[in-house]
Amino acid sequence: MDMTYTVGLSVVALALVIGFTAIVRERDDLHRILLTDLAEVVSLVLIALVATDLAEALILPGLVVGISELMAVSEVYIAKEGLQAPPAEPAFHIEVMDSAPGILALILVAYGIVLSGFTGGAVAAVGAVFYFMCRGHAEQFELIETVSGYAWAIWIGSFFIFMFLPQYWFFAVMMAGGAILLKVMAKMSLVGTMRGGSDV
Amino acid sequence: MFNLPTANIGGQELFVLEFGDIVNYFSPYTAALFIFALIFTILAIVSRPERQVDIAFGGDAYYAKEVDPGLLRFQRFMAIACGLATLGAMVSGDIFNFTLFASLVGITNIGIVAAYRNRHVLNAAFQYGIVAMLATVPLFGGAAIILASTGTLSMWELFTDAVAVPVIAKAFLVIGVMGEGMAPFYVAKAEITRAQGAPFILMVHVSSLLLFLRVIEIVISM
Repeated sequence: MDMTYTVGLSVVALALVIGFTAIVRERDDLHRILLTDLAEVVSLVLIALVATDLAEALILPGLVVGISELMAVSEVYIAKEGLQAPPAEPAFHIEVMDSAPGILALILVAYGIVLSGFTGGAVAAVGAVFYFMCRGHAEQFELIETVSGYAWAIWIGSFFIFMFLPQYWFFAVMMAGGAILLKVMAKMSLVGTMRGGSDV
Repeated sequence: MFNLPTANIGGQELFVLEFGDIVNYFSPYTAALFIFALIFTILAIVSRPERQVDIAFGGDAYYAKEVDPGLLRFQRFMAIACGLATLGAMVSGDIFNFTLFASLVGITNIGIVAAYRNRHVLNAAFQYGIVAMLATVPLFGGAAIILASTGTLSMWELFTDAVAVPVIAKAFLVIGVMGEGMAPFYVAKAEITRAQGAPFILMVHVSSLLLFLRVIEIVISM
């Protein structure tokens, strides 16, 4: 094996020992959640040490699994401690926040669709984030979830085309590009709703 | 085209499902596990959960616990998802897919028990969640070390004699699956079984046992 890999592995082992010792010693539940997240990052480092294209492809599912477990455990913690978010008033409210969001969001989303793919998703998401931050987001939340679900289905569908009908790859690329635009947009729009609220 | 390199553990392969370079397979061993998981998934779909009854000690009185229908729906969904993840892990022919399915089982197990508003159950679910999160470190670490040392994650390659998998990677894989499925930690699960809804809670146990059987097959074959 490569020398660099061995050195990296020993550093990771050291980090793991430190992290796990901290988790064993820590008594506060909230701090333990944070420390486990730290350990998860170390596992991503373990994958990243392989340093090939395949490792790059494996980090993403690893990250998703880590985040979803973190979210699940955090939800359990909130339920366990009986925590409730206080009813939040908007931090500030000015005239332009009533008039601008519609137009700006429309422009950004339209431009994002033209760009398509990851970049387009990010641009369109900025529009959606802006919209939700200025207006309420109580009702639109379900819409985002629905759109995200359809986008995922389209994405998977295009993967099946790649696998079983490779001659139609261009069509599949277009489908995947459009779907990932929607996915990225939906995920980043959630940032706009992160001020708390009834159904967040 | 495909021939399982070690036929003495899982038996000859019966059926091979090929997705590009990810090749799932059924051998008599994995097919048996698959059918077992399938039966319990179907049970989770069709069963009507029972009510839990608490007997008041020293008398005739008992409390019948009410189960919220919304909670049951969520729990049934999680149990079915757990069953599907177990099905995937049973037939996976790829180490990383196996680890992903294993961690999915861990997440859905947290989901099955976490819906209750009982403090003891939530406490147990929280501790269990911490263990499941920590277990992803050895789980993915094991897969990463296998990839780094052999250059492949396909079990079809790893099961051959030519490829030597380091012992540490095998150990990591087993420890990871133990943490995700909590197979040997029944003491920690004792509180979890106070949650209502027997068939769904059963899924927690079934999935962890099946996962453990599968990882043993993988580790011995490698």
